[in-house]
Amino acid sequence: MRTGGVFNILGKLLILLSLSLLTPIPFSLWFGDGMVPVFLVSAGCGALLGGAMVLLFLPEHDLGYRDGFAVVVLSWLLFAFIGALPYHFCGAMPSFVDCYFESMSGFTTTGSTILDRVEVLPASVLFWRAMTHWLGGMGIIVLSLAVLPLLGIGGMQLFQAEMPGPTKDRLAPRIQDTARILWSAYLLLTLVEILLLMLGGLSFFDAVCHSFATLATGGFSTHTASVGHFQSVYVEAVIIVFMFLAGVNFSLHYQGLRGRFSAYWRNEEFRLYVILSTSAVVLIMFANGYHGIYHGLGENLRTAAFQVYTVLTTTGFGTADFDKWPAVCKVLLVSLMFVGGCAGSTGGGIKVVRFLLFFKYARLQLRSLVHPRAVGAIKMGNVKVPQEVMVSILGFFALYIGFFLLASLVVTGLGVDLVTGTTAVIATLNNIGPGLHLVGPAQHFGHLPPLAKVVLVICMLAGRLELYTVAVLLTPDFWSMARKPLWRWSARRLVDKSAA
Amino acid sequence: MRIMIVGAGQVGRHLCEKLSVEGQEVVLVDQDAAKLRRLERELNIMPVQGSGASARVLEEAGIDKTGLFIAVTDSDEVNLVACIISKQYNVKTRIARVRNEDFYALDAPLSEKALGIDLLISPDHAMADEIVRLSLLSEAFEVAEFAGGQVVLLGYEVQGSNPCVGIPLERLKSGQSGPGFVIAAIIRNNATIIPRGGDRIEAGDKIYIVVRKNNIPLVEPLLFNCASRAPKLVFVIGGGTIGSLVARHFEDKKIAVRLVEKSSLRCKALIEQLDETVVLNFDGLEAHDLLDEGIDQADLVISVTNSDTSNILSSLLAKHHGAKKCITHITRPDFIPLLGKLGIDVALSPRLVAANMILRFVRGGGTIVSVATLLGSDAEVIELKVPDREQFRGTPLKSLHFPRGSIVGAIVRGREVIIPSGETELAADDSLVVFFTKEAQHLVEAIFA
Repeated sequence: MRTGGVFNILGKLLILLSLSLLTPIPFSLWFGDGMVPVFLVSAGCGALLGGAMVLLFLPEHDLGYRDGFAVVVLSWLLFAFIGALPYHFCGAMPSFVDCYFESMSGFTTTGSTILDRVEVLPASVLFWRAMTHWLGGMGIIVLSLAVLPLLGIGGMQLFQAEMPGPTKDRLAPRIQDTARILWSAYLLLTLVEILLLMLGGLSFFDAVCHSFATLATGGFSTHTASVGHFQSVYVEAVIIVFMFLAGVNFSLHYQGLRGRFSAYWRNEEFRLYVILSTSAVVLIMFANGYHGIYHGLGENLRTAAFQVYTVLTTTGFGTADFDKWPAVCKVLLVSLMFVGGCAGSTGGGIKVVRFLLFFKYARLQLRSLVHPRAVGAIKMGNVKVPQEVMVSILGFFALYIGFFLLASLVVTGLGVDLVTGTTAVIATLNNIGPGLHLVGPAQHFGHLPPLAKVVLVICMLAGRLELYTVAVLLTPDFWSMARKPLWRWSARRLVDKSAA
Repeated sequence: MRIMIVGAGQVGRHLCEKLSVEGQEVVLVDQDAAKLRRLERELNIMPVQGSGASARVLEEAGIDKTGLFIAVTDSDEVNLVACIISKQYNVKTRIARVRNEDFYALDAPLSEKALGIDLLISPDHAMADEIVRLSLLSEAFEVAEFAGGQVVLLGYEVQGSNPCVGIPLERLKSGQSGPGFVIAAIIRNNATIIPRGGDRIEAGDKIYIVVRKNNIPLVEPLLFNCASRAPKLVFVIGGGTIGSLVARHFEDKKIAVRLVEKSSLRCKALIEQLDETVVLNFDGLEAHDLLDEGIDQADLVISVTNSDTSNILSSLLAKHHGAKKCITHITRPDFIPLLGKLGIDVALSPRLVAANMILRFVRGGGTIVSVATLLGSDAEVIELKVPDREQFRGTPLKSLHFPRGSIVGAIVRGREVIIPSGETELAADDSLVVFFTKEAQHLVEAIFA
């Protein structure tokens, strides 16, 4: 690992993030909430830290494969730190651990909050919460690849480390162009949703914040009652549709925007995603109808569909407290939490495609028991899936179970009860937001012990970066490859010596 | 412009590396998925797995958007078929690597024109041409061309008897008003120095100078007391395609050639192709036989067997016994930087030579037009286009404040090449040939950013 080069890039990324800290200022002026100095100071801190890193470390051109992991994980940790400053300075949160939790929950598009009532936050800070979602949804590093030429050769490594997934689609030969395409599809969908929500009577502020949170599959709302606050079928329908879209692979949207709608249905993962979500809606409607929880088919459909998509796409908005639903519905929703969106979407979770391949693999194993001498291959569409991809998926499941068990062990060890503890881990590891019981849709995470929050922060980051990227940084092997950084001042001395 | 490269061998890899760094859209097509995965991890390119001779694969790789098509697989047939397919998609420029000699004969029925291919390239031919070009320079150990070959970079080792030793460079320069040259870099004890006017040359230095190509005969005697002259006795070790092409060339120039080849069968074929050359049938590692034939008297030893070890050892042997200069064929380009330290004057890889030839053919615009790394040092050379902005028009070079560790070696203005001094004024669309150490690179780029 080229330590100096990694820190130089981190510095540049921090400066870029500091610029985004200025975006809430117009809202602050508009609402007159007096938060302008808070954002200026926070942005200043970020820029100062970033600037110092750029000044201290010389850039290195040949950043390698390993450096990508370090840049991505460290930058996310730093982003969450800088992003937590406005929460800290505005004084609405009890401790810095809470601020960091809230910030990481924003960037990783988890949407878990430590606040009992979000209305205590000033409007501009609420906007910043939504902004962190939006930036984290498609990925800040992917954004910087799209807008800045500075990352140079290491771009591919960074892209893969931030946009992981078992299958990858290159939309353009240059990684910068791929990043640009993905971000423009993302931006376009966001703008359309803002417009549609405003047509439904939402204020510009609410429309922007909710659109950011929907497309990023985040889940932070500007109201404690979340989307339920609006009591509008139209708003819920729009949000359901956009949650669904945000859970789809964005390279399919790119095809769709270019008029190739057949690309959607030809995609096997998309088909499973549609079938899975519709059958979940039907089952939950059936169970809730049987228990007589909602009156009327329309009401039942509306709540069931909203909760299924909010959970499956790992968004985490709420219109109903599903903690009060029958057990079978809760089990179903918790299972959906693990699934998550499609690969290449902004959703978290294990991803539909991994389950698809996992089950294909299981089916192949069963077939080989019946036909021991049959030659088998796993295919996606018409293409054979390489053996390495299968191995990496099985490894992913193993790591996933490891993370889940270890985190649950720590959290419940700190005195949190079984349902709350495990579902808190599930909700953060899959970047969903609410869990069950004490962290259910109508509850919050504020009452958990501080150490549990730290563990959940790690879960959020590990989930967002799909485990491997974070896990590799936890291995001693990785750090044994670190080289001494190239300090700028020592390099300058070298030049002077050679010139003398 | 999208560039499609078929074949991820050494040539393809080198091309991908150079072109993707320049910010081109590069698509690489190859059969070997593992190779593609490794390259994708290192370079900013889009890999497509499949045969380059399949229209379906090429279409999948986006051939309809491609402006430049380069087929460089190991197989002549695949390369030719791929180029013919690409013709159906209106690709502007097509380049194919073809090894078969038949395509290069003067009256070949399937010539570049008949095939509709813009450049047919054979690594062996390219290598032979390069060797011949280098052989005409007396003591220079490395040559790189810039500005379409008008300006060359030459490396010399400074002997103790050299009259320039100890004189400050500014005095050295003021003495010559006629043929301009710039001393671009000095390598002393493995450290690279980009010199200023006050620096002096010391005995044992390796110096790199930039000169206009047609001025070489004027500069060499002035600076180094040595005239560039054609060699009188050439040894060629290895009688493969390259060896026989090179021998043929010297033969035509009436230069005495002795060619060493270990296979007696191959020797018989060689004597049919060659007339004046003395074809010797023994292994190039037989030191005693080589000395017996007078390798110590040779002006130039060219080692071009297909074994890297044989080439390196026979070159070292020849140098040790007093041969003036050696050119060594090596297939693994990663080792080239080491060979300079061993005392081998010029090491060439045919595949790199071919790749560089393709790059030279392809290049037209872009900021950084070509990059060459100086042998065994950390200095680099780039060709930079001056952006068309007010601040650069008519500005003298010295007021741009080039950082320490960088120097402008030449200015290319249209068809003219200027060897600059601090007073030289810039004009829009000038190309600058800039030398710099790694530390100064960002500062140099910042000036023109």
